[in-house]
Amino acid sequence: MKALRNLLLLTVFMLVGVAIAFYFRPQPVEQRIALGEQLGGDFTLQAENGPLRLEDYRGKVVLFFIGYASCPDICPTALAVASQGLKRLSQTEQQEVAGIFMSVDPKRDSPEKLAKYAGFFHPNFTGGTADRETIDKVVKQYGAFYRMVDLDGSAMGYAVDHSSRLYVINKEGKLAKALAHATNPDALAAEIRNLL
Amino acid sequence: MIKSMLQRSFLLATLSAAPFAMAEVSVENGYARAVPPGQMNSASFMIINNSDASDIQLVSGSSSVAKVVELHTHTNENGVMKMRQVETITVPAEGSVALQPGGYHIMLIGLKTDLAEGGEIDLKLNFSDESSKLLTLPVKKVMGGMQGHHHKHH
Ligand SMILES: [Cu+2]
Repeated sequence: MKALRNLLLLTVFMLVGVAIAFYFRPQPVEQRIALGEQLGGDFTLQAENGPLRLEDYRGKVVLFFIGYASCPDICPTALAVASQGLKRLSQTEQQEVAGIFMSVDPKRDSPEKLAKYAGFFHPNFTGGTADRETIDKVVKQYGAFYRMVDLDGSAMGYAVDHSSRLYVINKEGKLAKALAHATNPDALAAEIRNLL
Repeated sequence: MIKSMLQRSFLLATLSAAPFAMAEVSVENGYARAVPPGQMNSASFMIINNSDASDIQLVSGSSSVAKVVELHTHTNENGVMKMRQVETITVPAEGSVALQPGGYHIMLIGLKTDLAEGGEIDLKLNFSDESSKLLTLPVKKVMGGMQGHHHKHH
């Protein structure tokens, strides 16, 4: 009898385990948001003029991108699209929107370099980075991904594989949308306008 | 009489077209990406055409604006962008290959000068048949979301 009870208990534990694993299985960000999971949230980075806190951006729509500045293509394209999208809006509308570029490569990207880098695409864009622990926390918060990869034989030394979504954060600091890479500027402008 | 004139002009047309046919590789819509001041790297994009009956490989490049020039590609695996160096880029026989944002690119590493919009760079491309091409390319700001937007050839 006792053995049967133990077996039953074990089965229940296993089922619970499976359910938990199922609940926490890796899923595309879009799906996770659609399922009501609360991704995103506040963070503090190191920027040129001191700490850059998402909290300080309440009342603004924030376009947030995670990448690295020596990325020759994906990151600049994403920032160019963001900038183009923003320029579709009126001057007054643009003042209610900010862009934040977080580098996961603090070894190569100083806060000063990132400020210059982000500002190149739009005057409302800025950049920052952080220590590894903070970076990893923000990456996890936003359901993003990155990995340093050695490029053997390349003068680059290493590259960073990274997810390429553009996060649209609303005026209350909540993640509203995670857009796939190189969304067209018109679509982005419409997304932003929705949140203004 | 008219017929022979036609024949002659046809012959002439064929002859004058001949040197063209010998230029197996041609490059169009080439440019280098303008980057923020102080950036170490940039990339160059273009379309490479091959009119020859056999494949040809782009094997290396060099430029006075960068310490190192490498051939790279990007792949998108479930939204994760991966940049990797490649040995060669094949230009298929009687076809072309597009080096464009999000894919193949000529990586300019260790920029010796800022690549500002409106400037120019020199770029030498070396091919597997030991031919090479010396190009002068404009520096342009790349605006995303414009892929498939066709420019007029020069
Ligand atoms: Cu590259």
